[in-house]
Amino acid sequence: MELQPVYIQILALILFALGIAVTLSRRNVFFVLMGIELALNAVNLSLVGFAKTLPAMTSITGQIIPLFTIGVAAAEACVGLAVVILIFRSQDSVDIDTYSNMKG
Amino acid sequence: MLALIYFLILGVIAVGGALCVLLSKHPLYGALSLVVTMLSLAGIYGLLGSPFVGVVQVMVYAGAIMMLLTFVIMVLNGARDNRTPRFDKISLFVIPAIILMALMLSFLILRTPLVFNPETARGTVSLTAATLFDTSASGPGYFLLFEAIGLLLLSAMATAVILAKKKLGSPETSDSEEVH
Repeated sequence: MELQPVYIQILALILFALGIAVTLSRRNVFFVLMGIELALNAVNLSLVGFAKTLPAMTSITGQIIPLFTIGVAAAEACVGLAVVILIFRSQDSVDIDTYSNMKG
Repeated sequence: MLALIYFLILGVIAVGGALCVLLSKHPLYGALSLVVTMLSLAGIYGLLGSPFVGVVQVMVYAGAIMMLLTFVIMVLNGARDNRTPRFDKISLFVIPAIILMALMLSFLILRTPLVFNPETARGTVSLTAATLFDTSASGPGYFLLFEAIGLLLLSAMATAVILAKKKLGSPETSDSEEVH
């Protein structure tokens, strides 16, 4: 029994499904943000796992793209938390069902 | 064999942390579970031979992003909103859909032939930096993307400062701030 690339993809799939489940089913807005982070982590793991099945210089690409993903995730967390602070001040609740007054 | 044992241990820790995020009641516990998940994922990156991605994962994800999230949770004091139920009726329909998606994707993954390439490159700092900042004309051009990420982070920081500032100029927001 050796470590197979399929195991890495299965782990990434489990983490991605859990992240999407947290995002879509929890009602606390912080958990929604954390679910997005978890799904992004799973995608990073999948990219690194696929990079290890490629030859030399091609595999470096698969290990550089996660760096960009992490940078975009940092920007997303920054703006998302600022929006959460703003909405929390006006609604005084972390329940996303109370944020529905933006709908048309 | 040893790599598989390490991978199983780290993977079980990662999935356990993700399950704690899904099931925990207080957002602070969820954030700490997410830190555990990210640290074990960094260990998996090191195990796979991408130490630079693992270190960036620890520094940026488990360090910066989760610190920011924990800080905001503590500042906004989400604990006083404990009456909010964790799940609602819509979750009953969401969870089977996600399980179905996971089953279909796992079917696809298991049908794909994947083997580790023995010629794969170890993502060390020097090799990653040499590829990332390859400014030659025939290079991959990642340095332009790097500059774009820098501009994106700068604009995100400016946006966060503008959004989270106390006085926004519009009368509605200043009124609602006086109430709370």
